Formats: sequence, C-alpha cells, structure tokens
Amino acid sequence: MRSLFEWVDALPSSIALRESLNAYPTMLTIHVVSMCLFAGLIAYWDMRLVGLTLRKVPVSNIPTRLFPWALTGYGINLITGGLLLYSQPMRYYGNFYFWAKMALMLIAGINMFWFHYATYKSVQAWDQGREIPLNARLAGIVSLVLWAAVVVTGRMMAYSGLMPGWWNNLNIGA
Amino acid sequence: MMQSFFEWMQGLPFSAWMLEETWASPIIQCAHLVALVGFAGAVLVVDMRLLGRGLIKTPLNQLARELDRWMIWSFVALFVTGAPQVLSTALKQYYSPFFWWKMQIIVIGLLFNFTIRRRVAFAEEGTLGHWPKVVGFLSIGIWTSVSVYARLIGLLS
Repeated sequence: MRSLFEWVDALPSSIALRESLNAYPTMLTIHVVSMCLFAGLIAYWDMRLVGLTLRKVPVSNIPTRLFPWALTGYGINLITGGLLLYSQPMRYYGNFYFWAKMALMLIAGINMFWFHYATYKSVQAWDQGREIPLNARLAGIVSLVLWAAVVVTGRMMAYSGLMPGWWNNLNIGA
Repeated sequence: MMQSFFEWMQGLPFSAWMLEETWASPIIQCAHLVALVGFAGAVLVVDMRLLGRGLIKTPLNQLARELDRWMIWSFVALFVTGAPQVLSTALKQYYSPFFWWKMQIIVIGLLFNFTIRRRVAFAEEGTLGHWPKVVGFLSIGIWTSVSVYARLIGLLS
C-alpha cells in the first residue's frame, strides 16, 4: 500500500497538482460545498427515519426526490476528495484520521445497502405512518452518527499533530 | 475603531485559552462543520422545493414551516461555534477580505430570509408566479457564497 502511495506521489500530474497555487483551495472549497449538498440531504433523510422531522412526508418520497441530488453531491465529493488525495498521497498515508474516515465511509455504505435491501423493502407498510419500524430508526441513528463522524474525521485530517499515541507508535507515516 | 475592537477580542483570556488548549479549536471547528451540514440540509430542502425540485408532493408552506426551526437552531449552533473561532483568531479575521465578505453576505442572507424568503415559502402556492424560483435560486447562491468565503478564510488568509 505504501509503495502505491509513493508511486502516486511521484507522478508528474500529482506533483503539478500539489504545486499549483489554486488547485488545493479550489478542490477543498468544492469538497466542502458538495459535502453540504450530500450530507445535508442525507441528514434530513436520516432524521425522517428517526422521526425527528418531516414526519408528514411519505418516507418513500425522499429517496425518489432527494437522492438524485444527494448522489450528485456525493459524486462531486468523491471526485474532489480523490483529487485531494491524488495531489498529496504521502500527507494522508500516515494520517490516522484519513484512514478512520475511509473506514467510517465504508461502514456507512454497508449500513445504507443493508437498510436498502432489507428494511426498506417493506416501506409500503409504514410509508405514510408516523410509526417507523425499529430497524429503520436504528439505521437512521447509525447513519446520522456515522456521517457526522465522517465529517469530523475529515476536518481532523488537518490536525496531524493530534493523532492517537498508539497510532504514532506504529510509525506508518515515517 | 474596528481594528481596536478586534485587537481587544484577540487579547481576551478566552482567546488565549482557545489558542493554548490543544483540543479546543479542533473540537469547535468539527462542531461548526456538523452544524453547517444541519443548516445546509434545512435550507436546501426548502430552496429546492422553491425551485420546483425535491419534495414537490409536500405543500411548500408545510415543508418551510417544519424546517424553519431546524434552520434557525442550526444557525444558532453555527454562531455559537463560529464566535470562539473569530475571538481566538480575531486579527487574522480582521485582515482577511474573505471574513468581511462572509459577514456581509451572512447579514444579507439573514435579512433576505426573514423578509422575503420566509414570506414566499410560507405563502399559498401558485399565488406568486415565478418568485419562488427566484427566491430559491438567490437563497442557494447566498448561502453557498458564505460557505465558500468561510473556507477561503482558512486557506488564503
């Protein structure tokens, strides 16, 4: 894995992106704005499942009407995040918060697929009602916590001096 | 006068504590970002509805009234977590043009929201012609600009 990151780090296009004055601020700004689109809409979907808000909106309306926009935000987020990683792979390789963010995104994705292919299949039975099944509410809570943690670890990536001691002892970035 | 006010903020014991305490700034910045997501979602769901997109089967005024409190409380959380960051880096903010643009657009955004956007979103649908679309478009533009300038304070100041 390390050699892959080092190989990318030495690519001329990675160096060009890294040395560009405007690339990093532009990519990071688009990354934050697209995060607002994706995470903002997903947060209200999760809160609908938990029963915190939008209780009069049929549950099935939200994936149909809001997910295309949320996925657009996610796509832009993935592209800009990928470019940020591509421009400074060795900065992120040894960063605990980067790996934590990747792991949390993976778990959030598994939670999403599990919900979609298991709990959501019976949505017609509870679409209009205020009583959401426990499984759906749990999926909403887990998703809210996981995406909040993704946002937090994403922000913490800037604080390379605040990584856990046990992680530093592994000397991964050295 | 404004500069001395910012110098006073920078000199407060709380500002010094924020800078000295290792975890204070990261925790507050993370909370600010989570609040931003809450705010952005509440604004976007209604603005998209104003544009004729998103949750079009739900009456606009019902959606707007329900998300209004989420928008307000998320903004309060943004203010509560944003103010300590301004206090602890007051002079950096003072000399950043992005900070001043951000503040001006926030004021415009708040005035716009509480005068025009709310009135349009709470009104009976179909009585205002194309105005909901104009308002939704402007609202998205205003709050996107705020987040862009906010990000640029940290990157280009």
